[in-house]
Amino acid sequence: MKITDKLISAIDKKLERFDPKWQAEHGVGGLRSRYYDKTGVAKWREWRGVKDTFYDYTQWLYNLYSMVLMVGSAPVACLKGFWEYRWMGSYLGTFMFIDRLFEGFRGYELRVAHMNMHAIVQSLTKKIALVLANDKRLGGGPLSDNMVPMDEVLPPLFMTGFKDLIPIPLQTLPEFIICDIDQHIEPYYIDVAESFGLPADVCSRCSAETGVAIDDAFPIIGKAFLTTNMPCNASEATSMFQRRRLGLPDMPVTMAMIHNEPGAHPYSTQVLRDAIAFIEKEYGVKYDWDALFERAKHMNEQNTIELEKWDIFKTPHSALCGIAETLYRLYSWASVNGQEDYFTENDRKVIKIMRKAYEERYVPFNGKTRHRAFLWGPSAVYYTDFPTWAQNCWGINIVLNMDSTMGHNMIDTEDPEKAIEDLALFSEKGVMRHHAVGGWENVNALWEWAKNFDCDMVIFNDNVACKGMNGVHALMEEQARDLGFHFIFLEHDLEDARTVSRRDMRKIVNNYMTVVLNEEPLDPTLVDFDDSLAF
Amino acid sequence: MKKFLSILLKLVGKLIVIGFITFVATFALYMFNGENKLIYYVVRPLLNKHYDAQVRDRRIV
Repeated sequence: MKITDKLISAIDKKLERFDPKWQAEHGVGGLRSRYYDKTGVAKWREWRGVKDTFYDYTQWLYNLYSMVLMVGSAPVACLKGFWEYRWMGSYLGTFMFIDRLFEGFRGYELRVAHMNMHAIVQSLTKKIALVLANDKRLGGGPLSDNMVPMDEVLPPLFMTGFKDLIPIPLQTLPEFIICDIDQHIEPYYIDVAESFGLPADVCSRCSAETGVAIDDAFPIIGKAFLTTNMPCNASEATSMFQRRRLGLPDMPVTMAMIHNEPGAHPYSTQVLRDAIAFIEKEYGVKYDWDALFERAKHMNEQNTIELEKWDIFKTPHSALCGIAETLYRLYSWASVNGQEDYFTENDRKVIKIMRKAYEERYVPFNGKTRHRAFLWGPSAVYYTDFPTWAQNCWGINIVLNMDSTMGHNMIDTEDPEKAIEDLALFSEKGVMRHHAVGGWENVNALWEWAKNFDCDMVIFNDNVACKGMNGVHALMEEQARDLGFHFIFLEHDLEDARTVSRRDMRKIVNNYMTVVLNEEPLDPTLVDFDDSLAF
Repeated sequence: MKKFLSILLKLVGKLIVIGFITFVATFALYMFNGENKLIYYVVRPLLNKHYDAQVRDRRIV
């Protein structure tokens, strides 16, 4: 043992009573002890031992640096953005958000979690600065008309064939990712939508998007808009509300929903061709297949690495798990989608660490995992750190999330005809499309996935306002019983924390763990607490 | 040469002191969750007051 290791070990021993995990094990506190009541504001940051605390501190600095760069790259636009848009104010909760996500993480799992998180932070901060600097509402910029606003659930990879255009998933900044950070932001926009007579029982995500449109809170960019058919009537309605308010020429890129049938693919392929022709006409540019192939190679490499990650997820030795896996895959697939080199490079680094951890037979969370769970169905956006809580409180490791199984087919990088067919299949298996509403066979694929990833538990997200999934509740319960899975139906209201609060969601799990499984919590301070005023 | 070395040493010394002070300040801010307390209790309430006072152009079309 090196002298520095000895010294660190001695300091860790001396200070171990400040480590909340040690406190929970010894019955003198826990991970929730350091918070002020209700607010989610911590009195001090988590003491994780010398090495991990110092690592967490350096990553905090690193993320701070990205934010300084964001403001520095477009100071006036950023200040105007904070002044104009309510949702911009919510981004100030980012540091608290990151702390929540990785509470209780140590060693390799902390390292890969921060690597993934920084990839998101550096990408998102650049995107915010780019959009605000070219937002016509704030004065516009040289790239205002080179941007193509598009629905965030439409994978933008096919747009990289327009090398001078910048596809921007329009709803991501003001609606989707900000709800991850601040649970109180979307209810404001939902109320705006409902004040115009929109029913209160539709999907809150669609309602929030509509509220952003009505409140005139979308950045104004681009010359034409690509909308899409999403899996439900509420989503189609919000697309219509948005096109009316934005007033741009638009094209609904209506991909096939029931895409397992062979006849669906030629249809979706033609829709993509039509979308390309639409953009060529509206922006006066020509599609460049070589530019697409260049980015498709990145997406293919990321998906190849993803498949290797899945092999490691199937073992108890995966350094990447829980929200560090879920949030990264969601952002890197749905929002970046092969467009940024940083993500390919990050994947290469992360898989190296994962391989090393596997070779060392490293067990994350100090071997405290009791259950391996597959998280199925769209998760509550306002409770992104739910997997972290489940691990820390009950030892439930969320091995993989349904959304992470999105399009992982390879895209041909030589033949345009083959490439567009591959892209159609890839897009059909996009966020929420494939397993949530892609037909019964794809919904019911859950059990195969859970079995393949050696899970003994399934947590099935139950978006209470999702009409599409309301009918499958009892069917799933029956199958779980027959197949011998521990099964928790987790009710939530996607982006409206008022209907089913984070605390309510925790209660559902607590009840199952105590009443059905008769288990004791790993950390009693996490069982029941009020975080209703937290970001 | 001696003068150059003494200037260089002074400069390095100053950089170390500045680096140390920066580390202590940022680490204290980090450890005591200073930036989040400032954002939660001061900045966001002020911003929310401003957002609540905004007159938005609310309409469907």
